[in-house]
Amino acid sequence: MPDPESDARPARGWLAALFAVALVGIAIWEIVAIRRARATPDEDWAVAARLVRERYQPGDLIVFAPDWADPIGRLHLGDLIPIEYAARMDMARFARIWELSIRGARAPGLNAAPAETLVAGGVTIRRHEQTPANVAADLRTRLSSVRVEGGRRPTLELAEVGFEPHRCIQVIPDAGKPVRLTFPSLPAGRLVGYAGLADVFTRRDIRRPGRLIVEVDGRAVTEVTPGVDDGWVPFATDIPGGAVTFVASADAPSRQICFAAEVRR
Amino acid sequence: MIPKRAIGWVLGVIAALLVLTNQREVGLARDEIVYMQNGMRYADWWIGLFTFDHGVGREHITKTFGGKGATDNNREHPPLVKTLSGLSHHVLHDKLGVDEVTAFRVPSALLHGLLVALVYAMTLSIWGFAEALVAALFVLFLPRAVFHASLVAFDAPVTTMWFLTVFAYWRSLDACARGAKWPWQPGVAFGLLLATKHNALLLPFAIVAHFLYASRKRILEHWRIAVSFLVLGPVAFVVVWPWMWFDTVGHITDWLKFHMNHVHYNFEYLGENWNAPPFPWHVAVVTTLFTVPVVTLASALAGVVAWLRCRVALPHRTRAPGLLLALSAAASFVPFLLGSTPIFGAEKHWMPALPSLCIAAGVGLVWAARGLATYVRWRGVVPLVATVTIAAAVVETATAQPYALTWYNALAGGAPGGADLGMNRQFWGVAARGVLPVIATQAPATGTRLVYSHDASPAWGFYQKLGLVPRSLPDAGQEQHGIDRSQIAIVIHEKHFRRHDFMIWKAYGTVQPVFVLRAAGVPIVSVYLRPMQSSARP
Repeated sequence: MPDPESDARPARGWLAALFAVALVGIAIWEIVAIRRARATPDEDWAVAARLVRERYQPGDLIVFAPDWADPIGRLHLGDLIPIEYAARMDMARFARIWELSIRGARAPGLNAAPAETLVAGGVTIRRHEQTPANVAADLRTRLSSVRVEGGRRPTLELAEVGFEPHRCIQVIPDAGKPVRLTFPSLPAGRLVGYAGLADVFTRRDIRRPGRLIVEVDGRAVTEVTPGVDDGWVPFATDIPGGAVTFVASADAPSRQICFAAEVRR
Repeated sequence: MIPKRAIGWVLGVIAALLVLTNQREVGLARDEIVYMQNGMRYADWWIGLFTFDHGVGREHITKTFGGKGATDNNREHPPLVKTLSGLSHHVLHDKLGVDEVTAFRVPSALLHGLLVALVYAMTLSIWGFAEALVAALFVLFLPRAVFHASLVAFDAPVTTMWFLTVFAYWRSLDACARGAKWPWQPGVAFGLLLATKHNALLLPFAIVAHFLYASRKRILEHWRIAVSFLVLGPVAFVVVWPWMWFDTVGHITDWLKFHMNHVHYNFEYLGENWNAPPFPWHVAVVTTLFTVPVVTLASALAGVVAWLRCRVALPHRTRAPGLLLALSAAASFVPFLLGSTPIFGAEKHWMPALPSLCIAAGVGLVWAARGLATYVRWRGVVPLVATVTIAAAVVETATAQPYALTWYNALAGGAPGGADLGMNRQFWGVAARGVLPVIATQAPATGTRLVYSHDASPAWGFYQKLGLVPRSLPDAGQEQHGIDRSQIAIVIHEKHFRRHDFMIWKAYGTVQPVFVLRAAGVPIVSVYLRPMQSSARP
């Protein structure tokens, strides 16, 4: 290591000495901190998975936090997560939700006190209970009955919207030409939905937003204008029973507008 | 006793060996494959030229180095590193039997060693032995720089060539004062820098500003330096790039246009996916804070303080070495504060700033330790402070490999802390190498099983050639078509790659991977098996 005699020049007193002490302190902290900087070991995940399996009931939703831990969670419990659950519209349908989290993270939308909390090493397991939404109609299951005007027929996709998976109805309107999708005979209730723009590459290359208007009896009752960075944008409105029209439009071509909606009571 | 001047070369050799050892575990980067393939062709062309197999015909040059398309024969990137890699492959692999990947990567490792030696040499000539030794060690133990130097790519080499130019220029200021007539070195170094990567074009901003300051009263002594840059720089650049031997202006224009209009790749930063400007102004600042060892940053801060307090006492003051190093770092770094410069390569794009930072760190650490020594009055203080401080950089570097793009420093909380902060996980598909042993266990006894290899697709053939993947596991092809045909699929985890998970779920009917490769617990690659085929879970 350096020879203190070489090239000796007068150092400058207390400030330099203070820096030296601080550097040694930082170095010791850094060595310890980086060696300890490891996420939860697999053994803890395995124990957590066993605890959940013992308590799991069909229809339960399992989620993981932080989102980057999702692949590890699916590795251990993916067989209990149907694709439809992973690509859900939201969590309102589920009566019981298992949240497995590490590093103190919380899954979005699960801030209420859990009904049960378990700890498996570095994994915290929280069981949340809620009154599930009473879904009178899921528009995704009624796609075959939709009447289409002004463009191509929509498709049901498992799409990436806002970097999350969503099973949604995808419409690609031509620029400036709205596509009207009319769902006949929906039950009365609260229409709850989400819309967003699918595909990260078209979001990069085409920066203008899409637009989705909900019409009842020819009158707009709500609308959303999801932009490229907005993700999965919620909307809601009360509807009377009957036909409801969704008008998807964009100023730019290739805008992949994807939406899901349910009528809830 | 090794002479002090020679110690830099010893450190350089150690740095090159460190990189060569490290690269054995580093997967093949997507772009590396392109550079290797083109490098072999470039090298063959030069060998053919010198063995009189062919001449310098326009058609032959175009077939090797150019073409009508903007990316034909990889003409969007200058050839120096690719050519050196190709020549290295020709000599070390074809003639001497060194393994193929190592042979390609040797020039980058050697150039990284040269960087360490140059940092040592410049620091030694300005500040002294202790500062030089510590500065060189700080360069040697930069985790991300070691990683980038382990690849056939331009980012580590351009850092070396940039610093070589700075050092050559700085020495020429003195040489001119001592009556040397023609300082050819800075011009040639600059030409080679231009032939390495296009961010070379930023350095003149630093050199011109420094030249105007340092030569304000000595223009008659220093004018030859300007001539060196203006004449020898372009000449050296053109000599090593045959594509510039005809229609030079048009080809240079094409080259620059490509980079001025470069597509913005997806890149995660603080939890957001960025693929279009304006980018946050602080990307380079925050990324540097999280990807350089904390001790190196803290020592550099001490160095700035030391420089501000001690600069009057410095030798070579008239040549303003501190100003030159600061301008050099700024020229490399500042464009990334503008919000319009692509950020997808993160720290590798402003790596030429790091030698200045490490020199500041070397100066700062020694200044601080000597200050403490005046109180403690023990001659072991400086070595002790230096050893403990550099040990932290060593531990960070060792922790980072071989998945250094996933690693973040202790300030960020390591790889998990970086993931929590939403910092970019990786790029170029390098980490796929870590799941190859898992995939290899799925090789069928007879016939083939197609593998959706995702971002490792360009490297798949090479992995098979190296024996890391059995021939019975060929690449299935791209995107949904490839996934639909495959029985095994991988996803390399980056935020914008999540859609590949979803495409696989759709095709395989399950969200459950069978293996998740992790770095310090952070997922970097998932492996899926099509359920009908998954007789054995790895």
